[in-house]
Amino acid sequence: MSLAKRLESLDRRWIFLLIGLSVVLPMFLPITFPERITSQTQALYDTMESLPEGSVIMVPFEVWPSTLPETEPIARAAVRHAFRRQMKIVSLSNVGGGGPSIADRVLREEGNAAGKVYGIDYVNLGYRANYLAVLSGMGTSIRSIYQTDYSGTPVDSLPLMRNVDSYKDVAFIFAIADNATLDYWVSIVGERFGAKIGAGVTAVMAPKMFAYIDAGQMVGLLGGMKGGAEYEKLLGLPDQSTRGMGAQSLIHLLIIAFIVLGNVGFFLSRRNARPA
Amino acid sequence: MRGPLPLAVAFLAGMFMIVSFFSPHPAVEKASGDFLNWVSIVSGFSILLGVVSIAQNNLAKVKRRQKEWPYAVVLLVALAVMLAGGVLEGTDSGTVYDALFQNVQAPMMTTMFSMLAFFIASAAYRAFRARTLQATLLLGTAVIVMLGRIPVGQAIYDGLPDLANWIMAVPNTAVQRGIIIGAALGGAATALRIVLGLERTYMGRG
Amino acid sequence: MPRFGGARWTPVAWLVWAAPVWAQAEATTPPGWFNTDRVNALVLLVVFCAALLLYIRSAARGKSTYIRPLPGLEAVEDGVGRATEMGRPVLFIPGTGDVDMAETLAGLAVLGRIAGITARYDTPLMVPCLYPMPLAAADEVVRQAYTDAGKPEAFKSDMVRYMAGESFGFSAAVNGWMMRERPATNIFLGEFTAESLLLAETGNAAGAIQIAGTARPEQLPFFIAACDYTLLGEELYAASAYLSKEPKYLGSLKAQDLFKVILTVAILTGALAVTFGASWAPVFQGWFEAS
Repeated sequence: MSLAKRLESLDRRWIFLLIGLSVVLPMFLPITFPERITSQTQALYDTMESLPEGSVIMVPFEVWPSTLPETEPIARAAVRHAFRRQMKIVSLSNVGGGGPSIADRVLREEGNAAGKVYGIDYVNLGYRANYLAVLSGMGTSIRSIYQTDYSGTPVDSLPLMRNVDSYKDVAFIFAIADNATLDYWVSIVGERFGAKIGAGVTAVMAPKMFAYIDAGQMVGLLGGMKGGAEYEKLLGLPDQSTRGMGAQSLIHLLIIAFIVLGNVGFFLSRRNARPA
Repeated sequence: MRGPLPLAVAFLAGMFMIVSFFSPHPAVEKASGDFLNWVSIVSGFSILLGVVSIAQNNLAKVKRRQKEWPYAVVLLVALAVMLAGGVLEGTDSGTVYDALFQNVQAPMMTTMFSMLAFFIASAAYRAFRARTLQATLLLGTAVIVMLGRIPVGQAIYDGLPDLANWIMAVPNTAVQRGIIIGAALGGAATALRIVLGLERTYMGRG
Repeated sequence: MPRFGGARWTPVAWLVWAAPVWAQAEATTPPGWFNTDRVNALVLLVVFCAALLLYIRSAARGKSTYIRPLPGLEAVEDGVGRATEMGRPVLFIPGTGDVDMAETLAGLAVLGRIAGITARYDTPLMVPCLYPMPLAAADEVVRQAYTDAGKPEAFKSDMVRYMAGESFGFSAAVNGWMMRERPATNIFLGEFTAESLLLAETGNAAGAIQIAGTARPEQLPFFIAACDYTLLGEELYAASAYLSKEPKYLGSLKAQDLFKVILTVAILTGALAVTFGASWAPVFQGWFEAS
């Protein structure tokens, strides 16, 4: 087989092997790079900084376990920022398959590290079916949807929830999302009830969210691991996202190399195929 | 159920939800909230349909010793264990259900998601060929955005991250908006057809 | 009610005629029953509904509607033919959304046409479903299509299967099915999430011709990279009109196009007004604000 054909039709298993190595190697040879902060990340950070200390914010965990490597570091950065500013967190999830337990784990771990108390500094309301009903209903009364929290404790018995019963009682919504539920947060909660929304999303979702930023329907955005790394830099707390950028950088370069190789093979084949 | 009754229910329910969007009256808001709760309850029952279907198919596979029937046994055992664990013990932290979810299901889901990295590399290698002008633009844009999103891009050219961000914020946003508007209109037309009884695909009829 | 030169203008005529009626209704409706900040949404809804009904009626009366050629849909029948010649099945996934999503219904509408073709050619058909309600709807659609084609006995209940209740479990199960059965043609039409690339790349590895369509902008790049033909956004909704030529779909398509024209004119007008600092720009902008 000619070089051109080889380049044009590389066995995909070589690609998989090289991608695998690009992910594994940075685990043993950590590489970190300086991050340039995008305007969307800066805007989200500035919004959190502008909220009065002690504000109540909502942090919905609209995430499936599958995207945790991307979304969990973002969630932790958001929660750390909130706790650093003595904010109170009301959390919930419209993802029945794992969202509430992820929220529970992240909030408890970060809450314990920051010396926060459940029920006073943060609350996990858990999951209720039918996200449309949940998002619409919480605009009128959170208690109409959540009578108990994730563990079954009556909401009325939680000190944090005494003065929180709708979006009007929440200063900001920092959504962590990996699915289209975020569209409904923007269209129902943001547009109908006037809530201020920012989000940390997977890299795949980020291009779509730019439209909301531009229209002023969202105040800021963290897009994927890069967004998480930028936020960690702003907080001065480099963590998983920052470490992950080493592997991401290698993989991007590798994919570009494959694209170039493929095109070299394509053009060589075309040249060879031309009649003399 | 066939005939006019499902169509009448669809019409009344759809019209009520449309009216409730325009009416801030407390009685209407309460009624629409109750309505949405009924939707949750009905959706919950529909999960039973799926469980019954998958159990029936796999039991039949085991009974007839069809190809790969041992995997059907694994599925049925897993179904039974998760169901029993969730019903008997609940789903809080520390339960069997939660342990299996966190230590088996979640890692499996993460593994499947991580395969996207491998697949996008092989898809990009195969698809991003400069066959036409549009394909060349696509490939060029992809390279700029990929480089701009990593620190190496900034090292190559200081303005690359800003260029990548501009591509995301301007041309990409314009296209996304166009697609969203078109798709939203299509969705609205479908919804109106359902409410008006013109669309019956949800009942399994054309 | 005034007529302004034919069916094309009739929705506009409705609006002009109805506006004073609505204004009077707004003035006389007891407070609390109608949110006056949403009059703009109501007007748009009424216009859209009127256009939809009028164009459907016009299509039902035989007025022809031009739909530009969509390569993906033109390839559908060729794809089924390819599967028949190779003796391999056609795989159709009506999306991974529930039956309340418009994309799922659009996918199911096309499934009916595809099932009719596979029934005619005796081509095996595989329809995996993620949720129970699309399973029930798809089962009924395929069964009905086989009956309408005069081959009810050819319908097998395991053609339409519930695979899993979660998208990655679903894609793992379908990928396994694809690699074992090696379908010649894969058709993915509906709402998809992250599993789109997993399905499309595996289908490519299995050697299938692939036609995909979704209205999710974030999944389109994956389909474009991995599939042979892709329907972008609203082309998914046009698919049912393209294949069936039914008046309800043709009329809907035309109403959507009318609305796109209205929105385009509004966007251009607003953009120019704001750019050149027209004094009426804030008022015009206010007409389109959500509340």
